[in-house]
Amino acid sequence: MNKKITSIVIVGGGTAGWLTAGRIAAHHRAQDGNIKVTLIESPNIPIIGVGEGTWPTMRSTLLKLGITETDFIRECDASFKQGAKFSRWVTGADDDFYYHPLMLPQGFGKTNLAAHWQAARNNNQTQQSFSAATCFQEAVCEQGLAPKLITTPEFNSVANYAYHLNAGKFSAFLQKHCCAKLGVQQVLADVTGVNPAENGDIASVTTEQAGVIGGDLFIDCTGFQSLLLGQHLQVPFIDCSDVLFIDTALAVQVPYESDDAPIASHTLSTAQEAGWIWDIGLVHRRGVGHVYSSNHTSEEQATERLQSYVGSAFKNLTVRKIPIHSGHRQLFWKNNCVAVGLSAGFLEPLEASAIVLVELSASMIAEQLPACREVMDITAKRFNDTFRYRWERIIDFLKLHYILSKRNDNSFWSDNRDPATIPQSLQELMQLWRYHPPGDHDFTSNNEVFPAASYQYVLYGMGFETDYSFSQHLLHDVAIAQEQFNKNRKNIDQVMRSLPSNRDLLTKIHLHGLQTI
Amino acid sequence: MTNFVALHNQLHQSLRIDTQRIEAVGAANNMVPVVISEFLRLVVHYPIVFTKSSESGNFLCVSLLGFEPGENLFWINNQWQSIYTPLNIMRQPFFIGQENNQTLICIDTDSSTLKTGQGEPIFDSMGKETDYLQKIKSRLAELLDGESRTRGFIKALLELNLIMPMALDISFANAQQQRVQGLYTINEERLAQLDADQLIHLQEQGYLQPIYTMIASLGQIYALIQQPIYTMIASLGQIYALIQKKNERLGNV
Repeated sequence: MNKKITSIVIVGGGTAGWLTAGRIAAHHRAQDGNIKVTLIESPNIPIIGVGEGTWPTMRSTLLKLGITETDFIRECDASFKQGAKFSRWVTGADDDFYYHPLMLPQGFGKTNLAAHWQAARNNNQTQQSFSAATCFQEAVCEQGLAPKLITTPEFNSVANYAYHLNAGKFSAFLQKHCCAKLGVQQVLADVTGVNPAENGDIASVTTEQAGVIGGDLFIDCTGFQSLLLGQHLQVPFIDCSDVLFIDTALAVQVPYESDDAPIASHTLSTAQEAGWIWDIGLVHRRGVGHVYSSNHTSEEQATERLQSYVGSAFKNLTVRKIPIHSGHRQLFWKNNCVAVGLSAGFLEPLEASAIVLVELSASMIAEQLPACREVMDITAKRFNDTFRYRWERIIDFLKLHYILSKRNDNSFWSDNRDPATIPQSLQELMQLWRYHPPGDHDFTSNNEVFPAASYQYVLYGMGFETDYSFSQHLLHDVAIAQEQFNKNRKNIDQVMRSLPSNRDLLTKIHLHGLQTI
Repeated sequence: MTNFVALHNQLHQSLRIDTQRIEAVGAANNMVPVVISEFLRLVVHYPIVFTKSSESGNFLCVSLLGFEPGENLFWINNQWQSIYTPLNIMRQPFFIGQENNQTLICIDTDSSTLKTGQGEPIFDSMGKETDYLQKIKSRLAELLDGESRTRGFIKALLELNLIMPMALDISFANAQQQRVQGLYTINEERLAQLDADQLIHLQEQGYLQPIYTMIASLGQIYALIQQPIYTMIASLGQIYALIQKKNERLGNV
């Protein structure tokens, strides 16, 4: 039993497979022979490749993999993303929108800015939305500006940012880097069988082209089919379609009208009758898709909505239909097998949770890799607890986007507001938030995915009002709040003067590259 | 405004360069791009540092002339007070242009140095180049060659991680602090860790001397802070203004 874990076998390429392989290989210096990382990739199965939005965590992930930001941006068609704009989620009107930016509200933690903003708004002292009044990033996005300058060193920022990327190119880029620089061995083969050991572990996998491949730890990155964890180890799937109704995506790739068309520096999410449309700007094209609930609308109607959103270019585009089974596995790590990516679960891409969950999983596996099989079950339990918690928090947070909508154009919205579909944990938080705004005390685990500030942006963006009548005595620091609002205005002035457009900066990066210092 | 046109011995035969006005072109610059071949001449006055081009983000070598945008502490009483003025100033109003992969000399026909109609001719009555133009051409040649050598120098330093951001904090007498940002210098700690092969390589490329010249030139920052010493020759009113400035600046670098 006390044998060192030396051989990691990852089944499946794609973003999940290559990111996990890279993180483990880089952390344990596989190129020095400390451990062996093998990735078995089918030459026949295409990657799903719709995960095109990241979190700011991707910057530190790339850094840990030893990838330069210039190479990444140039080779993955990547662009900068500074949060999400939610249009038509509250009333469905044309001017109905709010932002979930990637930066904390100005002076977050110094004062209860949410309360002071609400008071100012109710007294007609401001018309501004919460995100506009407290975070300069909204103005940056509205103007289509980049989050930094060409003189800003790579991975550094003026405004916090993540990326939009071409998932297909990203996988190929990671594959090249992992194999050339990090010592990952790629085996191009189709897995045809999984061979158990006596204790129920996976001893090896049989492949059509490369024979039997054994290992100490198997990582299931086989996408929706969940070949190892789901099919072989029979770990049940926990369906959450009773909470999140979205079950289908129709995706298209939309060319820009011209080479110098603006590139939005945020994800645009526009609510529809029975779902919403994502719109992300890469350097050479946009990725647009309609996710919807097939119980509330038909494919024909959804296609029509997507067509009307995209416009005349639509008739020349190929529509890809992707089923979404909202939910996750009951366990993510069983015996010597851990699932990362779609094999672990999937949720609608409303807050770009797919790639960040891959990063979090890869990082935990890399950093807490069990030394030997004897202790693996303890790590597995910890991993399962951590990720069960994370999935549940993400589900809560996604649901939050729906339950405050005032839309009534389809039962999709009223069904979403039905308390029977709202998780107990979210209902409790909503009760508390009637009297105080989301704060760090509401999220005390060190495995939190979304910070309290994110809940504030969505909650107040959706028009929720907190009742401060019992806590007026805590709101005397009006001067401090005023100072923060002023600071936000000053910040907006400054970034409006200094930041280039997102397109301009990306063009310059393609031309000159970013400096490392 | 600038308007660059290719120099032509008939079109520009009657032009006169008012050499008294050349240095005024840089009167409102707080830094000027320099090339490594002039480092030894620059070091008598100027701190030589790196900064990034706001256009491309690429590193440049510059002489620091002042601490805030528009401030040239060498420009006193309508004169550039120095023994040596950087090539990029002295070549005014001439530039190097490119056409069909050929380098050619251009002139900024909107330059204030052409306004008076006085000064040095660039072509004689026969359309032949004057000695003055010959001198300009050698300056431009030094710049052209120097720019490519300086790029090579910067590339070599970046590869060895020898460039680092420079924290320049100036304390004013009124207790205000000004941080001059966007400047970079040689990472001396890293330089001391280079192995013999790396040092030999730098030496062979002729990069070792400019590295040490840049380090030594940083001492000129102190001189720059006390620059108003030059006000001895300035008018009374200006002396007052500059001493004020000196008092503000006397502090720690």
